This record gives sequence, C-alpha cells and structure tokens, in this order.
Amino acid sequence: MKRRILLFLLLAAFTWHEPVMAQNASKPTVKPQDWQAYKARFVNESGRVIDDGNGNISHSEGQGYGLWLAFLAGSKADFDLIWSFTRKEFLLRDDGLAVWKWDPNSTPHVTDSNNASDGDILIAYALALAGSQWGRNDLIETAETMMRALSKSNIIERQDRLLLLPGAQGFSEGDREDGPVINLSYWIFEAFPKFAALDQSSDWKKLGSDGLWLVNASRVGPRSLPADWMSAKTRLRPAEGFPPEFGYNALRIPLYMMRAGVTDRARLGPLRKGMSPDGTNLAIIDIPSGTATTTLSDPGYAIIPALIDCVLDRKKLPDRVKTFEPTLYYPSTLHLLSLSFAYSQHPECL
Amino acid sequence: MKKSTLIIAPIIAAIAGGIAIKQGYIPVFTAANGSVRSTSLAADVDLYPAKANDEYEVAQSGRSPKTPAPTPPAPATTTPPPKVDETALRYFARQGDKRRLEAEIARLRALYPGWTPPADPTAIAPQTDPALDAMWKLFAAGKLPELRKAIGDRQTAEPGWKPPADLMDRLAVAESRDQLINASNLKQYDTVIRIGSSNTSLLTCSDVDVLWRVAEAFAKTDRTARAKDAYAYILDNCTKPEERLATVQKALPLLPRADLDALLAREKSTPDGGKEFDSIRNDLARKAVADAGTDPKLVVPPADLSRVEKLANDGTEPSDPLILGWYYLRRNDVSAAEKWFKLSHERENSASAAQGLALAMIAQKRPAEAEATVYAWRDSSDGTRAVYMAAVANLLAQDPPVEIPAAILQRMVPEVAKAKDANAAQQLGWYAYLLNQFETASGWFSTALQWKPDDEPSSYGLVLTRQQLGDATGVAAIQRRWAGRSERIARLGEERNTRQRGLVPSPELFGTPGAATLQPLPLQPVTSSPGPANPAISSTPLRPTLADQVAETIARTQASQPQYRQAQELQVQRAPPPSRERPRRPAGNAGPRAPTGCTTTINPQVLSPESALTRGWCLMDINRPLEAAAAFERGLLSRSESARSDAAYGQSLAYLRVGLADRAAVAASKARQVPSRQVELDTALLASRATEAFNAGRPNEALLALDQRARIAPERNDLMILRGYAYLKLNRVADALRVFEAVAATGNRDGLRGIATVNAIRKREY
Repeated sequence: MKRRILLFLLLAAFTWHEPVMAQNASKPTVKPQDWQAYKARFVNESGRVIDDGNGNISHSEGQGYGLWLAFLAGSKADFDLIWSFTRKEFLLRDDGLAVWKWDPNSTPHVTDSNNASDGDILIAYALALAGSQWGRNDLIETAETMMRALSKSNIIERQDRLLLLPGAQGFSEGDREDGPVINLSYWIFEAFPKFAALDQSSDWKKLGSDGLWLVNASRVGPRSLPADWMSAKTRLRPAEGFPPEFGYNALRIPLYMMRAGVTDRARLGPLRKGMSPDGTNLAIIDIPSGTATTTLSDPGYAIIPALIDCVLDRKKLPDRVKTFEPTLYYPSTLHLLSLSFAYSQHPECL
Repeated sequence: MKKSTLIIAPIIAAIAGGIAIKQGYIPVFTAANGSVRSTSLAADVDLYPAKANDEYEVAQSGRSPKTPAPTPPAPATTTPPPKVDETALRYFARQGDKRRLEAEIARLRALYPGWTPPADPTAIAPQTDPALDAMWKLFAAGKLPELRKAIGDRQTAEPGWKPPADLMDRLAVAESRDQLINASNLKQYDTVIRIGSSNTSLLTCSDVDVLWRVAEAFAKTDRTARAKDAYAYILDNCTKPEERLATVQKALPLLPRADLDALLAREKSTPDGGKEFDSIRNDLARKAVADAGTDPKLVVPPADLSRVEKLANDGTEPSDPLILGWYYLRRNDVSAAEKWFKLSHERENSASAAQGLALAMIAQKRPAEAEATVYAWRDSSDGTRAVYMAAVANLLAQDPPVEIPAAILQRMVPEVAKAKDANAAQQLGWYAYLLNQFETASGWFSTALQWKPDDEPSSYGLVLTRQQLGDATGVAAIQRRWAGRSERIARLGEERNTRQRGLVPSPELFGTPGAATLQPLPLQPVTSSPGPANPAISSTPLRPTLADQVAETIARTQASQPQYRQAQELQVQRAPPPSRERPRRPAGNAGPRAPTGCTTTINPQVLSPESALTRGWCLMDINRPLEAAAAFERGLLSRSESARSDAAYGQSLAYLRVGLADRAAVAASKARQVPSRQVELDTALLASRATEAFNAGRPNEALLALDQRARIAPERNDLMILRGYAYLKLNRVADALRVFEAVAATGNRDGLRGIATVNAIRKREY
C-alpha cells in the first residue's frame, strides 16, 4: 500500500499539467443550443439555478455551475443574470463566502449561514474566468476576496498536506470525532492554477497536487475507489455518518481531473475500472463490499467513463452521450462540462 | 480612477466633507456637533488583510473602480453645472410611484446641490426609447437580475449601445440593498456594515429600513457609539413621525441608557402640544424597572420608578405592576412586592404574577397562601415549579408546625415526587417524623437521598429515624458514610449510649402502652436534644389525626401513582405501610457469622456468661432490650463478681427501657452494685415507677415515687411536670400551678402549657 502511494506521488510530480482549456477559451465550448436547453430547464428568469432532483432548492454549487456554463457558452447576459441573483442571495456571509443553500419554500430563503467550499470555488473560478476574459475587474476582485476567505475558513494543513474542508463549520477536528472530513469531489482541480495566478493567500497549486495525492490514497475496498466523504484524521477512511460509497459526489472526480489536464493511465485507469463493474456504465459502489448498488444510465453520468476511454485510448464517445438533452440538473450539468471538454480538447473522440 | 475611489472607498469622511450633510443622505454617521469621523465604517472589519476592503466593496457594487464613467461627479469639482439625468425621475413620476419619486429627488438633490426638481415631472416629452422604458419597468419591479440580462442582451444585439449611467448606478445600489437586507436577515452583520458603508446612497431617509439595519449591525457587533450615531442621524434628518418613533423603539433594546437619553433629547413637539417620544419614555422607564427586576445591583432613577408606578396605578394592564413586583422583590421589599404582584394577579392570573406573589408570601412566612397561589401554575415553567416546591417545603417546615389540610397534603405529595425535589422530600420526612411516622419518615429521607445523595440534613433525618426504629446497623452505616463530615451524625451514637447507659429515661417511657409513642422533635434538624413531652399534652387529639392523614395520604399516593411508585421503588420497599406498632426489627444485614454483631437471634443459654454479657450490651445498642435482658440473665451466671454486677445493672436498664419498673427493681437487686450505680438505678427506677403509676391512673403512687426519688436526686423538669399533673388529678390546683411556674421559669414550654391548663380549669370552675 505504502509503496503504491509513493509511486503515485512520484507520478504526480511528472503528470500534473496546467489546464490548457481555460487559458485560451476565446470561443464558446458549450454549444449555444445546448446552453439554451439547459437554461430553459434549470435556470429561472430571476437567475436562480434550480436543482430539480432535490426539491427545487438552489445551492452555491448550482449557482457556480450556472455561472461557469454561461461563461463556457459565451453568454454575458446570462452570466450577469445568474451573477446578480447569486450576489444578492448567496454572497451574504461575513467572511465574503456564499451561503450554501437557498430554499424557495422557506422565509427567509436562507436559514443556514454555513458555506460549501465547492460552491465557493466554482463561483470564484467562474468569476475569475469571466473577469479575465471580459475585462471585468469587479468580478476578479470578488473572486480574489472569495479566495482569501477560502484560505482563511476552509483550507487547513495536516501532515504536510493541504486539505479543503467542505464547510467552514461541521467538518474539522473540533466539530467531529473523526474530523477533519474531506470530500475529494470538492477539489475543482482546474481552478487552482487560475487561483494561484491571482492570489497568494494559499498555495493553490499544492492544494491541487495534494488533492490528486489524496484521491489515490483514498482508494479503498475491493474496487479500489474513494468514498464521497473521507475522514482524514489518520489514515484516510470513509467518514462516520455518511454511506461508505463511491457515490454521486465522487463520480465527478475523474471529470475534474481530466479537465485539469490529468491524462495518465496510472491515475485514471483504476477509477475507470472501479466505477464501472459492467465495463460500460457508471455505478454507485458500496465501498466495503465492492458491489454496485445503483447503475446510472443517464448520459450525463455515462459520458464520464466514456471520456476516460477517450483520453486514455482515443476511443470515440458512444452516440448516446454525444448529444445533449436536459434530464435532471446534476447529470445535465456534468454532461455539458464533459461535452465542453471533448469539444475543446478531444474533438477526435466525437 | 481617482474619482471612483473618492466615491467608493470607505474613507467616506471625504464624501461627508464634500457632499456634506444633505437632506436625505447619510454619507457617514456624523456626530451631533457636526464633526466628522475620519475612520471608515468598513475599516473596523479586518477580514481581508491582503487587500484593502474598498476593493471588495467595489466588486460587490458590481462596478469597476477602474472604469470611472458611471460614477456621479464629486461635488468638489465646481466646474460647469453637470447635466442632471432625470430619466428615472420622470419614469417614476409617470408611474405614479411616489415613494421612488421622492427617493430620486432626494438622491439628485444630494448629488447636485444647485439642482431643483422640475415643477411637474410628469409633463415631460414622450419617451423615445421603449426598450429603455422596459428596463426602467424591470427596475421599478425590483427585477434586478432580469434587468441585468436585458442590458446584456441589448449590448449583444446593439454593440454600440451603452446603458445610461444613472440606470447602472441605481441597479448596482438596488442589488446591494437586496444583499444588505438578506445579510441582515441572516445576522451577517459585518456584511451589512460593509455594504452600507460602500453604498452611501443607500443610507437615506427615503429608505429608513436600511438605516435601521445598519444601525442594528453596529450595535450587534459591539459598536454602540456608531449605532447611536446612526439612530441620531435619522432623528436629525428624517421627518416622518412614525419612522422617528420607530427609530427610538428599535434603539431601545440595543443601546445603553445614556445613548438612549441622547436620542430622546432630539425629541420634537407634536402639533397637539405633546412630546413625540412620550410613549418611549414610558417604555424606557419600564425597561429600567424591568432590568432592575433581574439585576438587584441596578439603580433605577426615581423618576423612572414613579413613572412606572403611576402607569401601573392609572392603567389596567397587568404588566406594569408585574415588573414593579419583581423590582421590589429583588430589593427585598417583600410587602411592596406583594402589593404589586397582587395587583397584577388581580388583573390577570399569569404564571409570572402567581410566581412572584408566591415568593413574596413565602418571604413573609405565609407558605400556605403561596402554595395555593402558585399550585395552578406549577407545571408552566421550571421557575414556577421551583417556587411551588419552595412553598411546599416551607409549609412543611413551619415552626411551630401547623396542621396541613388533607386535601393540600394529598396534592403536594405527588408534586414532590414528580419534581424529585430533595428538599421537599426531606421536609416531608421531618413532618412524618414529627408525627412519629418513622417508617414513612425513613422512606422520605431515603427518597430525598436518592435525589440528592450527599444531602447531610436528609442523612441526619434518616439516622435519627433509624435510631427510632432500632436499626443500629443502619445507623452505623450512615455514620460510617459521614465519618469526619458531620459532627452531629457522628455524635448521635454517643448521645444515645450516654442516655441508655447513663440511665436517662428514654422518652418512650412516657408513651401510652400500645399506641405510638410521641416524641416531638424540631422539624428542622437542630442539635438540641428533644425533651420528653407531657402525657397530658401529647394525648390531645390533634396528633393522631394528623398522623393518620399523612399516613393515608402517602399510602394512597403510592398506590395510585405509577410514576410515583416507580420513583419511590426503594422507598416502598423499605417503608411498609405506616404502622402505629413499634417497628419490627429490621431484617439483619449482618449474617450469623458476623463476628461482632448481635442481630441474629441466638438462645443466650448456649453462650458463655461473658459472651452473653457482651451480647447484652450489643443488644442494648441496637435497642432490643427484652433480648438484652435475657442475655444479661445468662451473664448473671458469671463467676466474676464485677461481671455479675454488670449483668444485673444491664438487665435493670433493659427492663427500664421497656417500662417494666418492677422487673427492673428486681434485676437491680440480683447483684451488688457500686453505690453510684445503685443511686443511678434507684433514681431511674423511681422515675419509671412514677410514670407508670401516673399512666395507670394512680397519681398518689406517682407522687410517692417522685418524693422518694427527690430524696436521692434533683428533680428534672419533665418529672416536675409529671408531678404538676399528678397534683391536678388530685385537685391540688395551687400545688400544680406552683410546680408549673417553677418549670416555666426555666423557659420550658411544657411548664407554660401546664400553667395554661391550670388557668383553663380555673376558668371552667368560676
């Protein structure tokens, strides 16, 4: 075990690339008609991104995805729409971060002031991208404020590794017996080089490379997969109080890795193999037993293993995942991010 | 760049100096004397040490400080009069939106000091840009994200088109306002202050709610001086009466009194000649009195106190007298407290009024009234329950004790069990003890100890009760547990031994055979030893009746209340139904092999005389005198003269203990005694004989024994009392009175009662 980790650590040093896409995204990588379809289904007229698989609530993650996709689709007007709502309704915390949840059925709509660090990273990343691309310093400055606040509220160093706490409250050693608890799908790997260029309050590149190291160190159980929620108290293990599964959170880890430029088989191969017991479809895996509890057939999920095949073996994407039809908010979001990556980086797989 | 920094940077003092204090604006919260604070509002928030706060604020406002175009000109630049954009003004006027029209006029006035609003804003040339008109419509409807999108869509469609700077400004400010309100609702006060300080145009009389929220944010983040300045700004600049009143009301719970007085000083006269904050002054006085009702150290200005008293007397509300009640109670003026609580209670029977009234009654030693007052509210809060329990405990602990009606006892007992109140349980123990219900008393003391294991008074009660029940093992167990921690528990055995061996007659000797022996004890566990009661007094009907009530009440409650039974499990086991018989011996804890004990029943004939002698004293120690007498009988067979003398002495004491004076006399004669013991035994025998004779209705014999005894020992008070009653039985009233008066002169209560009895007899006779 130890040897394998060491080996991967070495590999990480050689295979960590700067993301290529974000640097020169001059033309839209989300097709206008796909964005229109997505927007018509999940973004309401006031700029709220609706999680229709989750009681029609909104969250900072969804607003961040909405901003990012609007940017990738090149739609300034939609970006401004979503940003206006996000700023008014989410950017309320004293530390400058976003509150994590907005419920249309409660008054006030926000009742919990905690944050979710993936939502903050997504929002700050989208703001930084749009700010640089469109020459909007107001957006860049808000992004920088959020980076500093993340450094202060959510990033800690333990055993020489930088850890991203999922929220300012509830996940640290002081908050939980098995704390700190981390969620590796909160590492939006491609954002960190961008952050590093704008802000020095954290060693963002180290946060990224430590994240990649943690993904490997987290792979446990018969199928050698990370659980959604891992305790980093000592040796990494599935956290108490959460199902010990490779679930809806963790399944996006390889997508984030590929988008950030990770291409090597040693990293992607085990995830590809582990997540897909039948060789094709992505499944939710119970970590201790290694059994698939749910097979996910939505093209937004199915495209992820197919994309790994494309990156590793230049395999073409199956037809059913090449076209976009909105289904539910979450898989549809992953679908557009995957397609955007394929269009810009691997047109040969289309 | 410079211009925008001037506007946006949180060094708002610059603006304050420049824009000055314009109607409807609050660029910075200026002090009353017009001096300007030079520190920024946001500078207090040090969250972003890497960068100045202003940059974050800029970002929040949605505008870029590096693109100076949309910012309104600073008034410092006095060059040609700027062109005033009246688009919004006209739009609102056409829409008939008075609130926004007013706000816009105030805003433009502040920005352009020389500007006068058009006489008729509606009479304006027709709108030539329907798309822009639609945008203003979105703005007026508060659809800000939609407006952003509309602007973006138009810019995409018409690349050369630029939105009016006024629209962009107002949109950014409106977004900030929404953000501020949301942050305020979520108690994110730093955010509120940050937005407020970087959007000074939000801080106007036309939107006083925002001002209130910013002031609240200051107060909640320990910047009360800033909060006061904000409220003062409103009072200095804003004119709507209801908003002015609400401003002081909002400040009321947030600011210290001195700051509130500074705000009240900004009061204006109302058209009808009144003062606009009169109602506030009432509230303020009420708050001062109410605060002082929870903190006895607070000093209330006399004017406030008399204001509230006047309000309480003049009005019909229960709340004013109530706060006065608590005020006086906290200052130990219980009669004033009772007066006000009573008034409140009459106006409305509330939990708080009942609670306060009961406390005042308890403090004035009227626990029965307190119990009756707060009983109905006993379950409404922890406070009322505690007060109810205090009333119960005080009612039980009254000295001298009073009879508690059966119905009251009946309802108190389950409440004590429910509350698991150790003090009240202890008092029930003393109450039962007083009535000679030792089994019941033992049960309550044990229960009290279950609820409060280290309670010394309850342990003391229990040890006294066990002594009464003859449970020497139990007594010793408690003494071991309290060794070195309670002197009175430790010394209990010594006193008892002294009394038994030293031949002080046990109080039981005066009891009527077959009935419960009465031994009045102080309800409070005080150290004075109980004096024996006069039989004539103790046979008054009050005691048995009371005892029956307690016994029945407790027994009934135990049977009918499952939850009580559960809580009392231990007690139920230990306390069999109260009985008027002498308790049976407790089932021995010490087994037959216990080396030193004597709790097992053994035929003393199998023992050596020496062992039997030891066992005799041991049995005396655990108050089993008849068995002891048998053991001493065996001890009399010893070859040692001193042992035989000891055995005779012991047997005599044993018979005396059970009131068998004749047998005691026989026993005393079985072996020679040293003179001192002989005198000791004789005095005890004669005392016992006197009592026995009196109880048997033979007062002459009683007097004979007393006279004999008086020759060898001074007469004790209790025996003098006995003598007095013996005289009375023989109609020697004058002799009786003389004896009683002699006893009463020592402060003895029984002597006083004797005198009272003599007087009663004389009254009847005349």
